[in-house]
Amino acid sequence: MSLSKLANIDRRVFYWILFIALMVPFLSPIGFPITIAPNTQDLYDGITGDQVNEGDVWIMNFGYGVSAWSECHPAVTVCTKALFREGAKIIFIGIHYDVELTYNKLQDTCSEDFADKVYGEDYVFLGYMTGGESVVAQLGSDIASVFPQDHFGTPYGDIPMLEGVEDHTDIAGVLSSDTGDYGTHFMTQWQAAYGTKMAEIGIAMNGSTDLPRWQAGNFFGVSVGSRGGAELEALIGELGEATTAMDSISVSHLLLILAIILGNIGVLTEKLGGKK
Amino acid sequence: MSNVLKQEAVYAVTGIITILMILEYFFFAETQAWAETIRTWAVIIFNISLFLGAIRLIMAHSVRIQEKRRDWQFSGLLLVFFVIMLLTGIAGYIATGVQTNNGIYNWMFNYIYTPLGATLYPITGFYIFSAAYRAFRARNIDAALMLLAGCLVMLYNAPVGEAIWIGFKDLGYWVQFTGQVPGMRTLAIVGALGLIAFGFRALLGKERGFYAGGGE
Repeated sequence: MSLSKLANIDRRVFYWILFIALMVPFLSPIGFPITIAPNTQDLYDGITGDQVNEGDVWIMNFGYGVSAWSECHPAVTVCTKALFREGAKIIFIGIHYDVELTYNKLQDTCSEDFADKVYGEDYVFLGYMTGGESVVAQLGSDIASVFPQDHFGTPYGDIPMLEGVEDHTDIAGVLSSDTGDYGTHFMTQWQAAYGTKMAEIGIAMNGSTDLPRWQAGNFFGVSVGSRGGAELEALIGELGEATTAMDSISVSHLLLILAIILGNIGVLTEKLGGKK
Repeated sequence: MSNVLKQEAVYAVTGIITILMILEYFFFAETQAWAETIRTWAVIIFNISLFLGAIRLIMAHSVRIQEKRRDWQFSGLLLVFFVIMLLTGIAGYIATGVQTNNGIYNWMFNYIYTPLGATLYPITGFYIFSAAYRAFRARNIDAALMLLAGCLVMLYNAPVGEAIWIGFKDLGYWVQFTGQVPGMRTLAIVGALGLIAFGFRALLGKERGFYAGGGE
């Protein structure tokens, strides 16, 4: 076989190789060690220890749908556990129409932590909101105007945990988990405007926009994709979905690099053949 | 007169609201109740636009079905599911005050939407794999540099990179934080400056693209 053929391998060959290779780590986990990135360490440090006081109210924004569960949810799970264990109270909100599914999944993935907490006293689910950057800005000045009731229909004023929680001054920090722009909206309308402490949990693609903001101090920490989730799982000492996914990421990334090398060998051979 | 109402009034309202919101953001963020009112209007308008979007969706797909255009069956399927989700959601809301408290609505969300949504995104991985194989070719120095940087970041992100050689961690970190982050900062700053320029042009009535697709 001529090496130049390596430049034009049928895509279906790669699909099958990837499909079969991805099954290997699920059947037999490899478990490569994971080092912690400084941005993830900062995120974890910011939601644990003396950075969180008992009774602090935090906002957790679900800015991702079912399709991004694999990337965002492990980190959201760890952050929820960490905040609950520090005695913080959490307001869950979401800008994705399937926010309720994500909230229900969180109840499963943090079941032990939710079991100790009382709805309405330790946490509350305000539900879905729309309105882009405007609604995030409005949330900063009057939360009840955006959510006159929680997701289950209880009026805002009747929820014990929300007594005295009116605007950004009553919120200790914001964790926004996103596939889109809402982290940016919270940064513009909360962090930049009022100095609210905030961190971002984004899909891997968002890393390139989130990391400069972490370096600049807008975000006190950033979790990037499944890798960020795996690092957080290692930090809290409870390995989960993201750690399992890391093996698949290792296999797929390695295969991709091998495919790129093969393609380039093919191109190089074609060039050299042409010169002859 | 109608032209004035259709265009000039829109520009004037946009300009006035923009100035008010800029003043509020920079000088009176903690105090201005009127800004809260305007933002509430914005949220209401946004929600109305969702409703209009739904109407437009129904209209567009109804036309496709009527004219039996290519793949019109999918439009029919979309409308059927649209109606089912709408009606079951309303039924749940009327019965309990929460639209998701309906068995059919929940079943469709949990057993149709969730698996489909969870599958759709990972499938792109296969396409990315194939596309990267085809696109990442070192045909010149620039492409070779991009290829190298991409591979280093991949080996930094995947734990297998460190397992192969611990130096991949430092190299990938360097590429990401010394190479990519400053580039993204530059892009962000330039983009923000462009946005400010766009805002001023819109305020002065020189930028009219945001309204009905019109030019200057």
